[in-house]
Amino acid sequence: MADKTITVEVLRYRPEQDPAPEFQRYQVPFSDDMSVLQALLYIKDELDETLSFRWSCRMAICGSCGMMINGDPKLSCKTFLRDIHPATVRVEALNHFPIERDLVVVMDDFIDKLERIQPYIIPAEPRSLDQGAYLQTPAQLDKYEQFSSCINCLLCYAACPQYGLNPTFIGPGALALLHRYNADSRDGASAQRMELVAAEEGVFNCTAVGYCSEVCPKHVDPANAVNQNKTTAAADYFARFLKPKGSGK
Amino acid sequence: MNKRRPYVRPMTGWWRKNPFFIEYMIHEGTALFVAAYALVLLAGLVCLAQGEAAWNGWLGALRHPLAILFHLVTLAMLSYHSWTWFKIMPKTMPPVVLGGRRLPAAAITGGGLAAVALASIAALGLVWGMTR
Amino acid sequence: MESFKADVVIVGAGGAGLRAAIAVAEADPGLAIALVSKVYPMRSHTVAAEGGSAGVAQAHDSFEHHFNDTVSGGDWLCEQDVVEYFVAQCPQEMVQLEHWGCPWSRKPDGHVNVRAFGGMKIERTWFAADKTGFHMLHTLFQTSIKYPSIKRFDEHFCADLIVEDGRAQGVVVIGIASGEFMLIEAGAVVFATGGAGRVFRENTNGGIVTGDGMALAYRHGVPLRDMEFVQYHPTCMPGTGLLFTEACRGEGGFLLNKDGYRYLQDYGLGPAEPVPRNKAMELGPRDRLSQAFWHEQQKGRTIEGPHGSVVHLDLRHLGERKLRERLPQIYELAEEFLGVDPAKTPIPVRPAVHYTMGGILVDGSCAAPLPGLYAAGECSSVGIHGANRLGSNSLAELCVFGKVAGIEAARFARTVSPSAAATLQKQAQASEHRARAIVAKSDGTERIAHLRKEMAETMERGCGIYRLGDSMQATCDKLDELRQRYKNIGIEDKSSVWNSNWLMAIELGFQLDVAQAMAYSALNRKESRGAHQRLDGFEQRDDEHYLKHTLALFDGDGRPRIDYSPVRITKSRPAVRAYGAAGEQAEKEARHG
Ligand SMILES: Cc1cc2nc3c(=O)[nH]c(=O)nc-3n(C[C@H](O)[C@H](O)[C@H](O)COP(=O)(O)OP(=O)(O)OC[C@H]3O[C@@H](n4cnc5c(N)ncnc54)[C@H](O)[C@@H]3O)c2cc1C
Ligand code: SF4
Ligand code: FES
Repeated sequence: MADKTITVEVLRYRPEQDPAPEFQRYQVPFSDDMSVLQALLYIKDELDETLSFRWSCRMAICGSCGMMINGDPKLSCKTFLRDIHPATVRVEALNHFPIERDLVVVMDDFIDKLERIQPYIIPAEPRSLDQGAYLQTPAQLDKYEQFSSCINCLLCYAACPQYGLNPTFIGPGALALLHRYNADSRDGASAQRMELVAAEEGVFNCTAVGYCSEVCPKHVDPANAVNQNKTTAAADYFARFLKPKGSGK
Repeated sequence: MNKRRPYVRPMTGWWRKNPFFIEYMIHEGTALFVAAYALVLLAGLVCLAQGEAAWNGWLGALRHPLAILFHLVTLAMLSYHSWTWFKIMPKTMPPVVLGGRRLPAAAITGGGLAAVALASIAALGLVWGMTR
Repeated sequence: MESFKADVVIVGAGGAGLRAAIAVAEADPGLAIALVSKVYPMRSHTVAAEGGSAGVAQAHDSFEHHFNDTVSGGDWLCEQDVVEYFVAQCPQEMVQLEHWGCPWSRKPDGHVNVRAFGGMKIERTWFAADKTGFHMLHTLFQTSIKYPSIKRFDEHFCADLIVEDGRAQGVVVIGIASGEFMLIEAGAVVFATGGAGRVFRENTNGGIVTGDGMALAYRHGVPLRDMEFVQYHPTCMPGTGLLFTEACRGEGGFLLNKDGYRYLQDYGLGPAEPVPRNKAMELGPRDRLSQAFWHEQQKGRTIEGPHGSVVHLDLRHLGERKLRERLPQIYELAEEFLGVDPAKTPIPVRPAVHYTMGGILVDGSCAAPLPGLYAAGECSSVGIHGANRLGSNSLAELCVFGKVAGIEAARFARTVSPSAAATLQKQAQASEHRARAIVAKSDGTERIAHLRKEMAETMERGCGIYRLGDSMQATCDKLDELRQRYKNIGIEDKSSVWNSNWLMAIELGFQLDVAQAMAYSALNRKESRGAHQRLDGFEQRDDEHYLKHTLALFDGDGRPRIDYSPVRITKSRPAVRAYGAAGEQAEKEARHG
């Protein structure tokens, strides 16, 4: 089946023995339908059991397998060797995150941010189960659906130089999710979330590089969420001067 | 004992490592030319206020070969700036829904560039008419 | 060893585990909850579910219909009282998810839409495009963040269950980043660790679906029930086994053999109508469809591909626009992974292992025979799937029984007080010692990847869509051998930080135990029912001898002991399981007779 081979260079880092990360090369036999993830699995099974990386679903939905592939942040399960051959595949841990080991990054920071954006419905009008589901038209659904498709793969963070330079920035993925809840017709807590949007770690860190949306494997377009919120945050800011003190929400 | 020792990679030279970032940096760089040209126009305005001699001096300065070269370079820079600016524009605005369907990003970029082209032609025509 | 004191510890943060955690938090905000998962919650395999989740939603539908579809779909091996409870709770749980923000697909008027699914008489499958599991999981995960009493232990691997004084009192976990052990003490333990599909070769499951909770409960004396029933999904990607959801057929897709013929009509599923009728043709149940594939292959009417025989899943007549709207993920999978544009070309598909119907034996309140242990989701056998699960019943199960498990575990935890901390510590240390021995061992010669491969191959050979006594016996023998060889494994990675080599070795141990329970349960069932089909003189269902559940009991190094228990029948007597025109006829007769 596999008659060709491809060179795979992996950035290795084993904190208990390596002072700093270094590349290691492997030769992997491959067929045209093999993904980069399958190449890594081959290495782990047959060549080097010590290589560590995250993966699970193999179908671009669990968000585990993000890594830098030849310089770009990608999901290794949906990047195919046939598109790289005969060049070398060069894989590294996702940029802008500390490397825990090999291709595994420390992602506590993202989880922290996710927890801070209040990623749950705070209902505008609470409903009991007996009252049944809320009505939501396809047009209302369309307002946030795209932003709800984020698989938390962190590719956009690896694509965002502003996050790399200033890790306190909430960043594209979490802001897209924040916007997802603000744009949901069932939710009533935008005002609360807007505080974070406008805060020092909020949307104004973004300089519209736009690469985050380019690399997003799920067409979430996080840059859009961020930039829509710049407008909203700015409008909110000026509206404050127009409104009499103590009025409204 | 905890053996974790996360490794943080430096950010130095980040913008050289990816063509997308290089484009972004050039885009930001071309903004300087936008600013520079605004200064040139401002100078013209000041000269106009100072009277005819100053104004003619300004016009004369613009005819200098170096000034023409500057104009050509600035034109190129501004074109690049608008092109890259309109490319990211769809990412910066809420979806435009026309007849129940979202306007595709390419249409927004295309529309923006067309508007620039039209405005430039109109301005050129105006100036052409005034100077004859 | 460091320890954490919880009231309830939940192992698994997929759909079932998250729902259980929220249920505990809502039942009593004063209870401390530890939620342990070997991956970040949103990586759990619930994320991969595509098609939808069942719950009666239309006026002309009823709990009765959902009940009947489920029980006949399960070939009458279901606990009928549990099914009754289940179908009655489903709609409420779906509404609950809606309130929590799940982006269910809608009708133009804003009401939630439902779609047709295999083996379901009336459309009752709630869906969020073709990413239902993804949206359910993220909705549950993000909602769980709201509850301060839920303390998550993300990327913590559960290595053992602590049983003291005759009841479950906690778990031992390994922090994956540090490689350090921790004891989590708790009044009650909930297992929600998912299925075990990866003991087979071609499967739709993620790398983490290794039957850990099943094996742990089993090793501690809890029977695994009905493990021989393993579902093959008829429409998977050749080679990788990735799934093309049943919703493809629910939306009107056809299955064609190499002559472009809708072959299902030859297997009692006809007549072939232009739009598949519910419970007929392409909307028949999965076991029947996978079996029909096997027969076509025998007749030489399948198409040969690089990864074995395939048939065609034809979606062309649905048109690009509808496909992009209703099946966007499927569209992308076909385009990117196979280079096929489904609006223009049929998709090559073949059956692959998808779901484990069996699991940890629990009653209707999710309680295992071991006091203090609860289980929910795919790792459990609460009794609703019988011999064959209907698509979309399992996501609903996660919510309905996740909640039950949470509430019952909370109730139990409040009634008990923990044994002396020192005794629990001692057990935990012994457990740490055993787990570390795998790394410490320096003279092992067996490579885990190779044992895993041999296991998956023998499972496929002996416990496939059709089964023969001889080959099942061979599989049992092979598994006995692999379990012996497992003692001699050697792993290269001796480090502490993120040592996945070590964790995979532990998982392989779990998998071998679960595989053995499956194979021996299969060998001993001398009839054909649902997903367990034999071709060696036991082609018929035999209610006289086998209308009962299989129980596999762990016996250390030896083979599992196989026992049986009665099936609870309340209102549906076993009848002929028929689909298509024959099914409608049978239903009519049942109503009049
Ligand atoms: C591709 C695919 C599509 C499907 N589509 C549908 C569908 O359309 N409708 C439907 O009803 N059903 C569907 N199913 C079935 C359904 O999705 C699963 O049965 C269900 O999601 C299982 O959920 P769970 O919560 O039980 O387990 P999972 O979601 O698998 O979660 C298991 C959890 O346990 C944790 N865990 C496991 N072992 C350990 C350990 N040792 N230590 C710590 N944590 C551990 C994992 O980290 C994870 O968090 C589908 C299944 C697949 C594979
Ligand atoms: S927005 Fe896109 S790239 Fe960023 S985390 Fe979500 S899915 Fe990944
Ligand atoms: S393995 Fe799940 S996204 Fe790649």
